[in-house]
Amino acid sequence: MPTTTIDSLATVFQQLFDDDELIVTRETTAADVVGWDSLTHVTLMLTIEKQFAIRFKSSQVASLKNVGELADLIDSLRK
Amino acid sequence: MTELAATLLAYVRTHHPRSLAGVEEARQLDPDRFDGYAELLLGWAGRVLGDRAIPRTVDAFVEFTMDVNMAQGRYEASGSYEHKSYRECYDAVYADKAAMDDYLWGVYLTNFLWAHHLELSAFFETRFVAKLPERAALIELAPGHGGWGLVAMHRRPDARLEGFDISPSSIEIARALAAAAGLAGRARYELRDALDLTSHPAGSVDACICNFLVEHLEQPDRLFEVIEHVLAPGGKAFVSGALTAAQVDHIYEFRRESELVLLAERHSMRVLEALSVHPQRTLPRARFLPRSMSLIVQKRTREHA
Repeated sequence: MPTTTIDSLATVFQQLFDDDELIVTRETTAADVVGWDSLTHVTLMLTIEKQFAIRFKSSQVASLKNVGELADLIDSLRK
Repeated sequence: MTELAATLLAYVRTHHPRSLAGVEEARQLDPDRFDGYAELLLGWAGRVLGDRAIPRTVDAFVEFTMDVNMAQGRYEASGSYEHKSYRECYDAVYADKAAMDDYLWGVYLTNFLWAHHLELSAFFETRFVAKLPERAALIELAPGHGGWGLVAMHRRPDARLEGFDISPSSIEIARALAAAAGLAGRARYELRDALDLTSHPAGSVDACICNFLVEHLEQPDRLFEVIEHVLAPGGKAFVSGALTAAQVDHIYEFRRESELVLLAERHSMRVLEALSVHPQRTLPRARFLPRSMSLIVQKRTREHA
């Protein structure tokens, strides 16, 4: 079964936040993940850029509400 | 806590929870000064933008901070600033009015929402503005949103200021804020390249402000040539620059504080005071420490004085 963007993001999150049991869904927000602050958000976005070979604009990622919006953005940039 | 500071924090908590820790860190550094700037700068913005003031400025601030941190991450990976010329920056940023407006409103609140810039703001007010001579005539080079010079004019009702900026967005916002602050009679702005003031009368101003222009220039010496030209002997300038601190339109990569000091000294100025500040937290395993440095310099009256 192909890996979904959410599945790939879950792996990124687990590695970045050093928590193999971290569960990531479309509804996951910063409030659900300990340590997900503005600076960690930057590290997360740069890691995702490298992983998916895309480039974000700051305006796209500054106000993402949840992982679902992030996954949708990644999918749109990969088309 | 003042009403505008409380409203600001509530908006960040609700709409930008990831940014709350950084903003609270700034307030904890100096609550009275933080609240004072909230009342002043958000008060002025409120008269320009109405009910949209807090969403407009805070959303822009969050996006600008994200932009700066993303640029820093790319700088860490590559080892150099992304753009090397004014032309590249113009095409990437300056040509788009909407982007420039966002940029300027984004920078506007960094004077107190970034903890390390709150330190610089205090240094500016206590060590430079408070010590201006009576009825000082000032020039501000590249005022951007105009906030620094307007704070100076607010604190010094006896002083007057002319600001020169190459950006139409800057002139529009600075003039609007000056009017909102009741300072339009003493703070005037002209659309003009700040590096092209050789026709301005030599030695005609008591003081000069130039914050965070020098790292945007291909030839930083040109800025100090202008400051040297406009300042009267004994006149002072407050000049700030960024060191190993990336931004989409930073061109000149200063790495050591001494570089700014030597620049000033090459142009008939002696450094009276200096302050280099940095954010408390940086990206993980960072090679570069992003710093902002402010110098208070004085134009020499004699070869060694």
